[in-house]
Amino acid sequence: MAQGGDQTSGSKDAILKKKKDEKGVKKEDEDLSEEDIALKQQLELYVERVQDSDPGLQKVALESMRQEIRNATSSMTSVPKPLKFLRPHYGTLKAFYESMADSELKKLLADILSVLALTMSAEGERESLKYRLLGSEGDIGSWGHEYVRNLAGEIAQEYAKRQSEEAPIDDLMELVHQIVAFHMQHNAEPEAVDLLMEVEDLDLLVEHGDKNNFKRTCLYLTSSAKYLPGPDDILVLDIAYMIYMKFEEFTRALQIALYLDNMQYVKQIFTTCNDLLQKKQFCYMLARQGITFELDEEMSADDEEREGLQEIINNTKLNEGYLTLARDIEVMEPKSPEDIYKAHLLDGRASAGASVDSARQNLAATFVNAFVNAAFGQDKLMTVTSEASSGSSTNWLYKNKDHGKTSAAASLGMILLWDVDSGLAQIDKYFHSTDTPVIAGALLGVGIVNCGVKNDCDPALALLADYVDREDSSIRIGAIMGLALAYAGSQNEQIRSKLIPVLGDAKATLDVIAFAAISLGIVFVGSCNEDIAQAIIFALMDRSEAELSDPLSRLLPLGLGLLYLGKQESVEATAEVSKTFNEKIRKHCDMTLLSCAYAGTGNVLKVQHFLGQCAQHLEKGETFQGPAVLGIAMVAMAEELGLEMAIRSLEHLLQYGEQNIRKAVPLALGLLCISNPKVNVMDTLSRLSHDSDSEVAMAAIISLGLIGAGTNNARIAGMLRNLSSYYYKEASLLFCVRIAQGLVHLGKGLLTLSPYHSERFLLSPTALAGLVTLLHACLDMKAMILGKYHYILYFLVLAMQPRMLLTVDENLKPLPVPVRVGQAVDVVGQAGRPKTITGFQTHTTPVLLSAGDRAELATEKYIPLSPILEGFVILKENPDYRED
Amino acid sequence: MGQGTPGGLNRQPPGDRKNDDKKEKKFEPAAPPARVGRKQRKQKGPEAAARLPTVTPLTKCKLRLLKLDRIKDYLLMEEEFVSNQERLKPQEEKTEEDRSKVDDLRGSPMSVGNLEELIDENHAIVSSSVGPEYYVGILSFVDKDQLEPGCAILMHNKVLSVVGLLQDEVDPMVSVMKVEKAPLESYADIGGLDPQIQEIKEAVELPLTHPELYEDIGIKPPKGVILYGEPGTGKTLLAKAVANSTSATFLRVVGSELIQKYLGDGPKLVRELFRVADELSPSIVFIDEIDAVGTKRYDAHSGGEREIQRTMLELLNQLDGFDSRGDVKVILATNKIESLDPALLRPGRIDRKIEFPLPDIKTRRRIFQIHTSRMTLADDVNLEEFVMTKDEFSGADIKAICTEAGLLALRERRMKVTHADFKKAKDKVMFKKKEGVPEGLYM
Repeated sequence: MAQGGDQTSGSKDAILKKKKDEKGVKKEDEDLSEEDIALKQQLELYVERVQDSDPGLQKVALESMRQEIRNATSSMTSVPKPLKFLRPHYGTLKAFYESMADSELKKLLADILSVLALTMSAEGERESLKYRLLGSEGDIGSWGHEYVRNLAGEIAQEYAKRQSEEAPIDDLMELVHQIVAFHMQHNAEPEAVDLLMEVEDLDLLVEHGDKNNFKRTCLYLTSSAKYLPGPDDILVLDIAYMIYMKFEEFTRALQIALYLDNMQYVKQIFTTCNDLLQKKQFCYMLARQGITFELDEEMSADDEEREGLQEIINNTKLNEGYLTLARDIEVMEPKSPEDIYKAHLLDGRASAGASVDSARQNLAATFVNAFVNAAFGQDKLMTVTSEASSGSSTNWLYKNKDHGKTSAAASLGMILLWDVDSGLAQIDKYFHSTDTPVIAGALLGVGIVNCGVKNDCDPALALLADYVDREDSSIRIGAIMGLALAYAGSQNEQIRSKLIPVLGDAKATLDVIAFAAISLGIVFVGSCNEDIAQAIIFALMDRSEAELSDPLSRLLPLGLGLLYLGKQESVEATAEVSKTFNEKIRKHCDMTLLSCAYAGTGNVLKVQHFLGQCAQHLEKGETFQGPAVLGIAMVAMAEELGLEMAIRSLEHLLQYGEQNIRKAVPLALGLLCISNPKVNVMDTLSRLSHDSDSEVAMAAIISLGLIGAGTNNARIAGMLRNLSSYYYKEASLLFCVRIAQGLVHLGKGLLTLSPYHSERFLLSPTALAGLVTLLHACLDMKAMILGKYHYILYFLVLAMQPRMLLTVDENLKPLPVPVRVGQAVDVVGQAGRPKTITGFQTHTTPVLLSAGDRAELATEKYIPLSPILEGFVILKENPDYRED
Repeated sequence: MGQGTPGGLNRQPPGDRKNDDKKEKKFEPAAPPARVGRKQRKQKGPEAAARLPTVTPLTKCKLRLLKLDRIKDYLLMEEEFVSNQERLKPQEEKTEEDRSKVDDLRGSPMSVGNLEELIDENHAIVSSSVGPEYYVGILSFVDKDQLEPGCAILMHNKVLSVVGLLQDEVDPMVSVMKVEKAPLESYADIGGLDPQIQEIKEAVELPLTHPELYEDIGIKPPKGVILYGEPGTGKTLLAKAVANSTSATFLRVVGSELIQKYLGDGPKLVRELFRVADELSPSIVFIDEIDAVGTKRYDAHSGGEREIQRTMLELLNQLDGFDSRGDVKVILATNKIESLDPALLRPGRIDRKIEFPLPDIKTRRRIFQIHTSRMTLADDVNLEEFVMTKDEFSGADIKAICTEAGLLALRERRMKVTHADFKKAKDKVMFKKKEGVPEGLYM
């Protein structure tokens, strides 16, 4: 018996009972040590005295019993001895309590019964809570942590019960107040939050938060939000926002506001905060998210200041910062495609075999050159000065055949990305060309240069608008796509009025209409704009049967879907309309709409729906399973767990699915791990890249490029090199390999394609829109990328962002400081101040951050204005810093 | 690779088999995927890919519940999907067919060998237990991810090509150490030793059952404990009780088992032991009589001594080395703690030292009670006399007295053990304890 009680808490009752049965009650006494027996007798005496008629005696007995229980210090593995000895008397005390007259003493006894019920009460009876409510309502913490925890559990049950009976809950809430206060003071924020979630009264948190615990509380709230079903998640984030606002942690508040896509909150933050530097930091965060935001006088009174702030939001300094990073890392030297292919590392075969299709090869080189030298402003093919190699720039342009020239001319835009002034000046020369593909490329190039950068004079709109209505369809596409890239997410009314007529234009060819739909989708991404939706729906209905079987027509539903990107239920009306479409496109449209609407939500039900669709075996010609597979990735990419589990699910799809599913799986994997080369995914893709089905292999190769995008990952580079020799005879596969190689070395390893940023909390809608468009195009490689629409690849520019941390001083000049960069650690719900990164190295800013990396300042000299060290971060001097 | 090809094959109508084969042939000579990770450390076997993601807050809280729910949801979906597919298109027949084909290729019997070196993707140097080494091919259906130099493989009986690999390479020595049947002794059979029991529970059992408690406080639970004290004070008994009560894997070794005939075998055994413990984690490793290998280092003259020291060094490394030991707890027991190497006992390796003193009067009474509880005693037996005696008894001595008394009663064909029996037994035991040892021999 003596040791029986030492069993760990879970099964103690059962074991105690068993032991008792075995040995009999008599034996029990003998087994006890002397002091135990003394204690037991003492307690028995108290129990007797409590039932005495003399109130004085009762009081003394109760007091000492209480003393005895509180003083019981014991191991966490066992039940405190006094509690153990009082167990047999629980029933007696309970009976006596019922017969007692109301008095102070009765309350005192209720307290003790409440504690005893901790170990005695049968499952589901909640006696501890019952007696607590009847008791003296003294300090709740005095009975210890375990007691409070148990009480909290019982409250949650009781609350659910009363809620169903619609009984009053005031007394419970009183207790909840006490418990929350206790938890918040004792480093148990998660428990406080859990309890409040159960009783649906999170507002209390705002009251109880203080300087020391609000960060942990909010961290817990924000990380729970991703796993809570709607609308609880919004509620939780709202609370977190309020707490952050209360403690003036504005940058975090802004993060939540952006996550909720709540411009009202953003405005509120701007108006509440008075610090100009802080506001500048907000502007950097807004710029990174890629949303259009106009400051008004309320948010910043001073005109000059406002202009400065608006400039940051417009991202005008992005190019400068990026080049600073490039100079610091010493990668300014332009690279040619050959530097990327590294053919000399292969054994003889590949180099011996002359390229099969030189136009295709040159086109590939154009793309590789554009991707690798993106935003550097110089390269070895397009921008070489005429003296150096007597106009090789034009030469290279004309090494491409007709539609290839479009991509070649546009690649200049990519090289001069974000640098509007010199970009437009250099592209200008192509406008005077007589060659229509070159003009189309120039138009596209203008769009690319302006991607993510806003300029007050709107040069892109001025240049491109007229070309939208030209005769030639390639020029029209160039202009339309250029507008999409330059004004992604801006919801610009002019573009709407410009492009909607194109959709209804009877003369326009299908490709023009498809690109117009996509462009409208990207410019109005996530806006749920009904006019545009209507226009696209009509355009879809007007298509003939033959046109609908063209892969291009599948871009129309995508354009529609992008309008509802991440907007969940808002899509339902449109989805209803889509049911009336021609059956050829109906299901495809349905899947596309759903996948876009729930992108980045992690909604498990939708994943289930998509998996259900993939489980069907189809006759030939149905295409909707491709978007369904992509849909799984789009929904599940929201959080880490879903991501990992989705990778597992996709593995099953590979095993059971048929060709149309199998070719989409690599693309889904590519989206899940974009710019994040996970080894297991890499292995799967490498395996698939040798698949006997060439479409699967091509998709796998492109995805290898996507997961390694901008990482310079040597392993992927090696795989791709081997693939290039393996497929040296097959032009289209080789083209894919080249593109993938270009992607791996995107921006010489300084860029990322991941739409997630700010510690993987925020999702940039335009970036996701660009990626999804490309992936949908990749569902039918032959018709799109390998056909004449290869410039769809330039939609990736929407997702391209430098993966850097650049610290700037108060005048926004780069400021080199030492930082530690390491693998981020999940610290949610951990006690104390756990370290947030592991395996770190110390660098001097600017530095590169890989997927899953986190940085922290290694010096006390400065204070960062944003707790999230990513992108541009303003540092201010620490007034308390003293040089050693 | 393995999954790609069969899928491709199945889609072809069966009539085209010949054509199909030809096509396959054409592709065959091309280089298979480059596997850069040839020397990669095995990530805990093939399950690595199928492992579930870890859920981070270890504390019991709603977030953890939500996350685990999310994983469960996905698993349910997978199950639904797979069962649907199986219903639509049973894979069993097909796999059966494939399997029999593979079996044909493998031939029978297969010989067991060792992989010496991987030359390229399809070739390796192998050796069998006797005889020379061969340069042979690796058949395509062998999972090359799991091949690594030194692993046990199956070879074709004639051409000796690699046709499979042996998964379970647990040293049989180690598998013997696993305690399959829990010992009968439970905590209730231990007299006294309450603080020791509590300590061992806190240090060994609690970290395995309730890791979140330690996380809450923000400390790392201790890795192991050492039990020390006079002979017969219940160290092994307590370890048995731990084994009895825990559901974790319990591995028990005696220190002398770690001393092996051949050079390097001892350290290898230690490594294997901890590897197995890690694989079967949560687990408890109990090493009895650790002084057999854990004595202080000194200038050893014989190779044997050096080997023993090397075994201990390996043990040191396993206890707190470079690789982290997750859910493996270590219990050591010795009665000569002062002779152990200080490195073994430093904090971080063995954090808790639990002393087992000779029983005091109270404990002695408990022990007497435990041992006499199943004996038929005569009414005149007064155990208090023995309990209160000044002689130093250990737990084992008391047991010996009880047994001896029982034997005396048996000898005289009595059904009850009398007080006199106990007295005689005590004298006898005490005599043996004092005089029985040959201490006087060298005087």
